[in-house]
Amino acid sequence: MDQGINRRSFLKLSAAGSAVLATGSGLALLTGCSSNDGPATGYKHFRQQDVDLLTPLVGAVLGPALTDVGATAEDGMKAFDDLLEGGMPGTRAALFQVLDLMQLGAARWYITGTWASFADQSEQEIKQTLTEWSASERSLSRMAFKGLTQPIHMAWYVKPVAARSTGYPGPPQKIIA
Amino acid sequence: MQDLSTLTINVKDPWKNPANGWDVIDGRTITDNRTLEADVIIVGTGAGGGVSAEILSQRGLKVILVEAGKLKSSDDFKLDESQAYRDLYQEGALRATKDAGMTVLQGRTVGGTTVVNWTSSFRTPQKTLQYWHDEFGVQGLSQAQMAPWFQQMENRLNIEKWAMPPNANNDILKRGCDEKGWHSAIIPRNVSGCWNIGYCGMGCPTNAKQSMLVTTLPSALDHGSTLIYSAQADTLIIEGDSVTGVRVRPLNDDKVPTGATVTLKGKTVIAAGGGIQSPALLMRSDAPDPNGLVGKRTFLHPTTFVFGIYDKEIAPYYGAPQSMYSDEFTFKHGVNGPAGYKMEMMPMHPGLSGALMGDFGERAREEIERLPNIATAIALIRDGFHEDNQGGTVELRDNGEPLLDYPVNDYLLEGAKRSHLTMLEMQFAAGAREVRPSHTHASYYKSWKAAREGVAQLDYAPVITGLGSAHVMGGLTMGADESRCTVNSDGSYKHLNGLYIIDGSVFPTSIGANPQLSIYGLSARNASALADKLKG
Repeated sequence: MDQGINRRSFLKLSAAGSAVLATGSGLALLTGCSSNDGPATGYKHFRQQDVDLLTPLVGAVLGPALTDVGATAEDGMKAFDDLLEGGMPGTRAALFQVLDLMQLGAARWYITGTWASFADQSEQEIKQTLTEWSASERSLSRMAFKGLTQPIHMAWYVKPVAARSTGYPGPPQKIIA
Repeated sequence: MQDLSTLTINVKDPWKNPANGWDVIDGRTITDNRTLEADVIIVGTGAGGGVSAEILSQRGLKVILVEAGKLKSSDDFKLDESQAYRDLYQEGALRATKDAGMTVLQGRTVGGTTVVNWTSSFRTPQKTLQYWHDEFGVQGLSQAQMAPWFQQMENRLNIEKWAMPPNANNDILKRGCDEKGWHSAIIPRNVSGCWNIGYCGMGCPTNAKQSMLVTTLPSALDHGSTLIYSAQADTLIIEGDSVTGVRVRPLNDDKVPTGATVTLKGKTVIAAGGGIQSPALLMRSDAPDPNGLVGKRTFLHPTTFVFGIYDKEIAPYYGAPQSMYSDEFTFKHGVNGPAGYKMEMMPMHPGLSGALMGDFGERAREEIERLPNIATAIALIRDGFHEDNQGGTVELRDNGEPLLDYPVNDYLLEGAKRSHLTMLEMQFAAGAREVRPSHTHASYYKSWKAAREGVAQLDYAPVITGLGSAHVMGGLTMGADESRCTVNSDGSYKHLNGLYIIDGSVFPTSIGANPQLSIYGLSARNASALADKLKG
């Protein structure tokens, strides 16, 4: 099944961002950003370029949710990878299209308000980026913000160690007859 | 502090008994092409498929059920969000509308959404049935004509008003509405011997929930039906103007086709995959659709959320998840006026809470750390009744997977805003210290006055206005009006012989209440009529 990016599916992405995405896809093909080398080492779905792109963002989105339980941004990123396990190939492909686009400085600027890669931003700068991004009036920015931050939170808090850090005492014990 | 983590559950799983002689085939093990025959092929094992299978098999008809999801039963239900979303929900609970405007929780497992729903069981409102009759020419589904079918399914699934006191979360709705003088009432639930622990959404670990998994499906198997799970109905087999079977692709554990094809032959095929899936099956099959209606008018009960923080403990993760509701605003402006909404509460486990609360960094963390003291009110907006609210359209991705395009327009956003105000007012009336609507730009308000002023300043736009759905309906509209409908009131498809649609996708609008009993009742009626016809 097709999990990667191809120009045709790229161009079919939603009307909200289609013009930008069409431009971006051409650029992505030119720069080779859209190549799919398979999942990164230690990951089932995310590719190395996704891990590089997103790990700093996951660290900032979750922030104290990670540090309060002694976890790292990489733990949060791996939780996100686990969450994708339940998705269908088409679900993942749609996410990867947004991530491929965000490899491009111009697209990052359009979506998040800053050209710099998250990895090149200080913790304070990423927070500032998130603040501006969440307040953006562009529909594509709003889609990307929700489409990324929502599963990042969900992926982390379904993990028992994170779940219990909210004050939730946990489920009853299950015994198999 | 409420803490159920030391409670132990030890319950017998009816699916783990090798002596019952059921004919159950695991699609993951199918690597060869094969053909099976039956009187009736049923695609989907949820509310529509389960009820149909029981009724048809009890009448002596040979039934094959095909289910894309996995077979998971009480021994497998670990009360763990991560596992439940991965194994029991469409797209691993990552399903959303095309523009990410609404998240969609829908089941994908043997038993369908009935395995993961919160058990609320309402008859279809009279105003909804009347609207279907008046606007779409739906025949034979008046309140009086449907009453015996609802009664039959209420008896079958032990549907009764919840007899125990509501949990603290649902008690907020009762107290808030009482304080305002608004309607509230107890929710009827399909449970038998419920432990009142609160894990309905992760698969009932005690088999108390009377889902299809523990009722109609075991009964259908007892009556000689065959179940094939982890097997995706790919296309209908169409010969001339008749359906003669279904092409099925077995799936491996990663939901990827094994490469084999199972051909199911039968003169009668029932599409019961539910909204989104049933229209997609017809679309993949190029089923005749002269007016281009298949997949159109798909409805979601777009749902808004309001979080209230209380001094006392709420423990919104424990106890029967839904037991109180309010119909104060459901039909307040008539059946087809400005958006009406049914008010309920929702259970909040940490993963779902994290997803719904949103935000980032310190502020997100501070909010979720209040979880034990948070009550979450929801409003289910009735969609499909107003000319400015015609629902969504099912599309197919390149690989045939369905995707729902449902634009969130001004009609819905106006309803979302009003429902926020209602729930803010209700939660303050119930004694909340701080309340916040689910909106990217909203923070907690400390009084009803501050909330009113705050909401007036918010930009109600798609995506930033928090909307979700747990009820997918429509897409294969039922009724006599050929220009708007593809399915007759008896469930038969208008443009192919032998094809019946028996699930929530035939509803011409949303229901205006949690839809499971509407699907059960209509399915019992139409499956019984089909059995009469086939045995006649």
